Amino acid sequence: MSRTTLNIDLNRVEGDLEFQVDLDGNRVVDARCVGTLFRGFEQLLIGRAPKDGLVITPRVCGICGTAHLYTAALALERMAQLPVSPHATLVRNLCLMAENVQSDLRQSFLFFTPDFVHPRYAAQPLFADIEAAFAPMKGRIVRSTLAASRKVVELVAIYGGQWPHSSYMLPGGITRGATARDLMDCQDIVDRTIEWYELDVIGDSLDNWLALDSADAFFSWLDAAPHAASALGLLTRFARAIGLHHIGAGARYFLSAGSWHDPLRWQPPYGEPAGLLPAGLYHADHGQLDAFNPDIINEHVRHSWYRPYPGGRHPYIGETVPDYQPDTDRYTWAKAPRYGDKVIETGPLAELLTGGDQLIVSLLALEGPNAWLRQFARLRRTGLTLHLMKQHLAELARQLGTPHYLPPPAGALDQGEGYGLVQAARGSLGHWIQVTDGRISRYQIVTPTAWNASPKDSAGQHGHWEESVIGVELADPADPIEIGHIVRSHDPCLVCTVHFVGRAERHRYGV
Amino acid sequence: MATLLWLQTGACSGDTMSLLNADSPSIESLMRKGSIELLWHPSLSDTPPGGLGKLIAAIEAGTQALDILCVEGSLITGPFGTGMFDSYRGRPKIQIAEALARRARYVVAVGTCSAFGGIPAAPPNPTDCTGLQFDHEQPGGLLPPEWRSGAGLPVINLAGCPTHPTTITRSLAMLAQDLPLELDFLNRPRLFFSTTVHQGCTRNEYHEYDVEETVPGGRGCMYFNLGCQGPSTLANCNSELWNGRSSKPRAGVPCFGCTSPGFPRDGDLFRTEKIGAVPVTLPLGVSRAHYMAYKNLAHAAAPLRVKNREMEP
Repeated sequence: MSRTTLNIDLNRVEGDLEFQVDLDGNRVVDARCVGTLFRGFEQLLIGRAPKDGLVITPRVCGICGTAHLYTAALALERMAQLPVSPHATLVRNLCLMAENVQSDLRQSFLFFTPDFVHPRYAAQPLFADIEAAFAPMKGRIVRSTLAASRKVVELVAIYGGQWPHSSYMLPGGITRGATARDLMDCQDIVDRTIEWYELDVIGDSLDNWLALDSADAFFSWLDAAPHAASALGLLTRFARAIGLHHIGAGARYFLSAGSWHDPLRWQPPYGEPAGLLPAGLYHADHGQLDAFNPDIINEHVRHSWYRPYPGGRHPYIGETVPDYQPDTDRYTWAKAPRYGDKVIETGPLAELLTGGDQLIVSLLALEGPNAWLRQFARLRRTGLTLHLMKQHLAELARQLGTPHYLPPPAGALDQGEGYGLVQAARGSLGHWIQVTDGRISRYQIVTPTAWNASPKDSAGQHGHWEESVIGVELADPADPIEIGHIVRSHDPCLVCTVHFVGRAERHRYGV
Repeated sequence: MATLLWLQTGACSGDTMSLLNADSPSIESLMRKGSIELLWHPSLSDTPPGGLGKLIAAIEAGTQALDILCVEGSLITGPFGTGMFDSYRGRPKIQIAEALARRARYVVAVGTCSAFGGIPAAPPNPTDCTGLQFDHEQPGGLLPPEWRSGAGLPVINLAGCPTHPTTITRSLAMLAQDLPLELDFLNRPRLFFSTTVHQGCTRNEYHEYDVEETVPGGRGCMYFNLGCQGPSTLANCNSELWNGRSSKPRAGVPCFGCTSPGFPRDGDLFRTEKIGAVPVTLPLGVSRAHYMAYKNLAHAAAPLRVKNREMEP
């Protein structure tokens, strides 16, 4: 069979995305994740006041601005070694949790499941149920998701004034402390969201669902009628019927910077990770968990349109000098972040593996990484997050009246360098800042999608998404829906990759 | 039923999130009751790859009618005027936006980026971007100042970073019914942009009596020291709450003036520039001498409950 190249543009991701794949017959033999839309956010920050990053960086991304805000505040706190009250960290976590729940729900039922309602699947036994639940903008689950995702971000508005795009986290705390009145509002929002999740998404109680701790327990749980008919049950049964548990493995190393922050451990000197769920690198093949080391994060530009440098560079010494070179083996505006020399996957699956969720660990051991498990882990995380939100509200009730903001001493933000890391909805997000004479002199952002959607590195290793589609057999190259399933299972956020977004073909930057 | 195409240019999807947050009317209710036929939305359409290209071609050829074109994101003209920093299938998005605008009855800039340039257009404007019909406050962006859509209107600027959720859905519903939409000097619909953010702020009594905070996190007014632009910014943030709950100033976050063409301003965003004790930028339309006289009296008149910050905003 002859070798052909296919250009695929995908929507229902955050931002635009184009994938270029080489086919041998119908089998994908090479892949290039290509993107453009240079917005130059880091350049906008140079010369501005250190706290301006709290206004500018949330605008990197409409769907995960709270994560950017949180990360930007952490970077300044580490830089100036500022203490933060537990009250503030609890509220920050709650807001990030609400944003993540919103994002996971919209990604699952507005972006991922619409691919199931495809004429190719009309003969599938579950197709009528799938259509009733997941038809775009009309399906039962789609409509209830629109309402539920709208509701849960009200929690962010209570503390931040609005979602998206607010700036209520400051180095040292938050702008508004919780009152008992807020708590009642937040409890109602969380209770209603849990009620909906139980009724529509899992068809069971949150406690029963979180107690499932093995693949066997899950598959027998799935046999019960209410579980099978739930959104998650339908998604699982259909995804497995069309073989999504056999495709889309990718990197096989999972990285998490640690989810949310422990209010008591997020304190100077900020030496150790303070995540509520542990940070680390999880090896898919033998289940080993290594400690997280942010010092070995580095970015390559060997296959990107930037001024070349050898190997990879840590974000503190990174450079971003555009250097467009068409007709070469460089193909994207994205850099290639690596963890040491490793290509990694980040996101909910990584978070739950490093966090020790036994159900997810067991499913991974059984079938390895795959597109269904990745999507399944996202909705599993929603349940865990809602459970933690309830716990947080109980703890916040005990913190009422304690300080929510500890003002930094004069001049504290005038000089230095620091970084912040959080688990955003799509995975590990890092900001690295340097401040000189009261002005930002360097700002580097490494987003979750930058990790997942990276191009090849200096050693020629493919990025994680590229790896996850290589080897896939396409039923119809004119309508490569398999690629849509795999790529969307990663919850791409192209607007977030900062250096690049958009649809691009290789030879079109005729500058 | 009005056909609608939503084009994302140099965007962050924040206005799309705002669209999804609108509850009354919601986008799904507008679609279900037949006001809006969504031809394309990057986050919501289930068209297979390449579908947008076919749709654009049909609109350009005149075989598909386009009633409302929504543009979200800055219009990127770089590098070197090619627009190729942001493209779809080899064609600059700015060219697509221009071609679709020519066919549309109404063109709506959703968000400050497509209205005026927004954050990506802040110095040093690394991508050479602009708004659809304004470049910051200067008339003329991607389209010239005299440009008019099929229905005879300039680009309708639903400014905001992001735009207020129901400002989007109500404006779309009005256009779908061909109701008149009166515009202000920046082509923003007066209905949503005639009051200041200051109006309705729950910190107003603190402002009234000159009880001003110097450190964030407190209950008082943020206008004199903490960079709040509420008194000089036209938007409905405090008269129609966000997410049905609150607004930034209510939550202790200064208004950054995100519906204005100068957003984001050059100065420190959390600090107020002042001449003497008074902000450089005064409440809209106020004379400095009168304002200073009023403020001198206000502080002396402040009741204790305000001075003691007893009110929770």
